[in-house]
Amino acid sequence: MSSSTIQVTDSSDLSGQSTSRLVLQMARRDIATLFRTPWIIISRSLAFIIQLFVFAYLISGLVVKFPGFFPYYAVGSVVSVVASISFIIGYDIFEEAEEGLLDYLLTLPIPRREFIIGRALGGAVRAMIYTIPMFAIVAVLENFSNPLSIIAAILDLFLLAFGVTGLSITVAVSVRSANRFDVVLALLELAVSRASTALYPLAFMPSYVAALAPFSPVTFAADSTRAALSGSSLDILGLAGLLAFVAIFLGLGATFYFRRLEGGVYA
Amino acid sequence: MFANFCIDLFVTAATFGNLIGTSYFLRIAPGSNLITAMVAAFQSGRDIWREKYIKDLASYLLTLPIPRKVFALSRITGGVARSVIATFPGTLVISYLYGILFSPRLVEAFVIVAVFSLGIVGLSIAVSAFASTIEVFATVRSAIQLYLSFLSTVFYDVSLFPVIVQPIVQTNPMTWAMQAFRALQSQGSTLYPISVLVGPSLAFALIGAVCYLWYTRL
Repeated sequence: MSSSTIQVTDSSDLSGQSTSRLVLQMARRDIATLFRTPWIIISRSLAFIIQLFVFAYLISGLVVKFPGFFPYYAVGSVVSVVASISFIIGYDIFEEAEEGLLDYLLTLPIPRREFIIGRALGGAVRAMIYTIPMFAIVAVLENFSNPLSIIAAILDLFLLAFGVTGLSITVAVSVRSANRFDVVLALLELAVSRASTALYPLAFMPSYVAALAPFSPVTFAADSTRAALSGSSLDILGLAGLLAFVAIFLGLGATFYFRRLEGGVYA
Repeated sequence: MFANFCIDLFVTAATFGNLIGTSYFLRIAPGSNLITAMVAAFQSGRDIWREKYIKDLASYLLTLPIPRKVFALSRITGGVARSVIATFPGTLVISYLYGILFSPRLVEAFVIVAVFSLGIVGLSIAVSAFASTIEVFATVRSAIQLYLSFLSTVFYDVSLFPVIVQPIVQTNPMTWAMQAFRALQSQGSTLYPISVLVGPSLAFALIGAVCYLWYTRL
């Protein structure tokens, strides 16, 4: 998937550009990478449609203890998809290192800091681009029409995407074995999404899950998004949790990635 | 895979059990194991694809002194065995929940998983024979997994589906695998659901074998 290159007509073009332009250049590359493989978009879209219009629709008829389960699940499934797509950047980075593409990227006249921030931003933005149509479907279904609420919800989703991207990058540069990496990232993705309030309310989780779910970044995003869309309030705690998550894992991911880049594959 | 199964069962299924009712948890529990079996079974197709396009092992394997038909059969048998082994702890957990862990009916639980896996292995091998890229394989795999999981009686009864969709649900192999497991829970006979499941499973396995033989001719 991560086979794209950055076209450079003149090496001085990049070295003379501002920091923000270089960051955006890196981000654009990651966005283009995802859309160059439309199959993943097709499969995730299909999964979302079936989960929402088959599973959620039918199961909500059985869930009598929680009225309004369908809208609850609908919003949560969008949050879940954002997290899921954001994890993909880790696979891209791992593959790049394995295939030697990373060595090429490091020869580009882009400072390391911009390189890393650009990767994280690209991972987050493409998750958002991919998820916006699904968010639009849910917004139409549930009649979310307040522009401020929608903007606040999108901000929550973006913060989640940014933080999960950082988490994914951290894992990608920390785990060396391909098999172990696949397993760790897949389990992390599953645990972060399932042990959260994205798909079901906290009150109905088993106690061992309910103890952990409040600390999941997906919980912060889901609760904050729902609060924003319902127009009832701003979930300050959820927002603070998301910001902390972003700061920690973006910082960690950047630090580990930087060390990996500077030390090469033998670091 | 067992970790996957545990998260599916003890997080998702348990939560839906709390949302809908305790009997619902027991009703959908085998679904976690069958989904794990499905994922494990699809590894067979993925391995065959990787042998050809990534590891370049396909040519070597085909030079081995094994008749092609035997080789195709062995790939399918190996896939089923791998799936049963991967779901071994999960099947034991479901059997414990259904009170048949120390009963001869435990064997029936494994038979259900094996028969179900047979069809999925065949499907995955058929898909791998035609997929030119891993993305295509992954997409088709996703679509099949969605069909097996959500257009079946794993989570809800067939009567909840629109009438026009019900035949699709009733012919889904996952539906009959779930029926067989639920028969174990209710101490009923699994003969009828397993015998219905054998039909599509053998058909998919045959399709997989034919596709593999065609693929190895190229």
